Amino acid sequence: MEAPPVAVMPVTGGSIHMMEYLLQGSVLDQALESLLHRLRGLCDNMEPESFVDHEMVFLLKGQQGSPFILRARHSLDRPVAPWHLRYLGQPEVGDKSRHALVRNCVDVSASHSLHDFLLEMGFRMDHEFVAKGHIFRKGALKVVVFKLFRILLPGNTENTEPLSLSNLVELSVLAPAGQDTVSDDMRNFAEQLKPLVHLDKIDPKRLM
Amino acid sequence: MCLTLCVCVCEIVIVFRARSVSQVPVAEGKSVQQTVEMLNRKLEQLGAVKQGNFCVDCETYHAGAIGSPGQPPKFLYVMHNSEAPLSCFALFENGPCLVADPNFDVLMIKLKSYFQNAKSNKVESRGARYQYCDFLVKVGTATIASSARGITVEVEYCPCVTANDCWNLLMEFMQSFLPSHVPGVPSVFGVKTDGVYSPSDTMAQYLELFSKLRKQQAATGSGMR
Repeated sequence: MEAPPVAVMPVTGGSIHMMEYLLQGSVLDQALESLLHRLRGLCDNMEPESFVDHEMVFLLKGQQGSPFILRARHSLDRPVAPWHLRYLGQPEVGDKSRHALVRNCVDVSASHSLHDFLLEMGFRMDHEFVAKGHIFRKGALKVVVFKLFRILLPGNTENTEPLSLSNLVELSVLAPAGQDTVSDDMRNFAEQLKPLVHLDKIDPKRLM
Repeated sequence: MCLTLCVCVCEIVIVFRARSVSQVPVAEGKSVQQTVEMLNRKLEQLGAVKQGNFCVDCETYHAGAIGSPGQPPKFLYVMHNSEAPLSCFALFENGPCLVADPNFDVLMIKLKSYFQNAKSNKVESRGARYQYCDFLVKVGTATIASSARGITVEVEYCPCVTANDCWNLLMEFMQSFLPSHVPGVPSVFGVKTDGVYSPSDTMAQYLELFSKLRKQQAATGSGMR
């Protein structure tokens, strides 16, 4: 039994100031293979990892105006992997010359009881979807190319249909607040993907 | 992974309240600290070796802004255990338990307008950690807002993960150093469907103990010393 003696308090809390820097774009199904080919050349991992994830978006309505949103995601092709809970804050309004969308991000890995636990906390599921695609890495940059599928019967992830004829492309970096060189690196990488895909910062509020 | 743990947490032995003196073979006037030292000495006499310290803490969050009026308020408990330093446990009493990473504490800060942290209700149990052959024993002083309220004793039988298979062995071992006060089977053992023990069962047992302590504190008012 090699359990080490613990003489100090456990490490609690994480960083409250982690920010997600994000650029998004899309490609039609016909152009997907060319994009994957270029990404294989530009990125670190030789063979891209593929994934099939089921994401549920939960809302908590309180006395305030806008509800609190949490995203719970789990893998359908690796069922043993922990669930992933994500909070995304409002996009930072600021420097217009900044190349990427910046928002506060809290990521929590959680056990498989997450769904029931969120319901017990008072959250209600707003919508869910399945995402199938590939993930690439280049240093701290993460590129995810995936297709969204609508779930036809609630809770049934076998029965899905594609939401559109295109694939969403997301370039993101998780970094502590204040590191603005990150968005320059992202812009430089995004340049290398043109004209296959144009990655831009898209303010979610403008789409509502 | 290596041996998963099977744990039993004894009931609290509260020393200087009249109603529980009968359960404890100590003289009148012994303090919490003296009883803890007595238990530690007994373990060392048995042959147990001290291996550092441990800490289990529990914070209470009050779900204020949600739920329909007329419903009883919901309490969310967020606990940490030094035995699992990279985990954070979130529980509802008699409800689901979530095991998450330490960023869950950061998320609770974001949720502060929905879940208020009742800081005065924080319960902690700290003490020494002893190893005796296949057993791990932790004797802790339970404190609410820095005042000692009782003693927790956690006994763990490391090789076994099936709770009901080793309850008798645990009980026999506990009798060797807790002469007159051996607890009944913890309620978490009864509800196990597959019988496999997990760290969240430990936290559920601690939560039960801490809730009992809080109720006792509320019933008897403040001063304990």
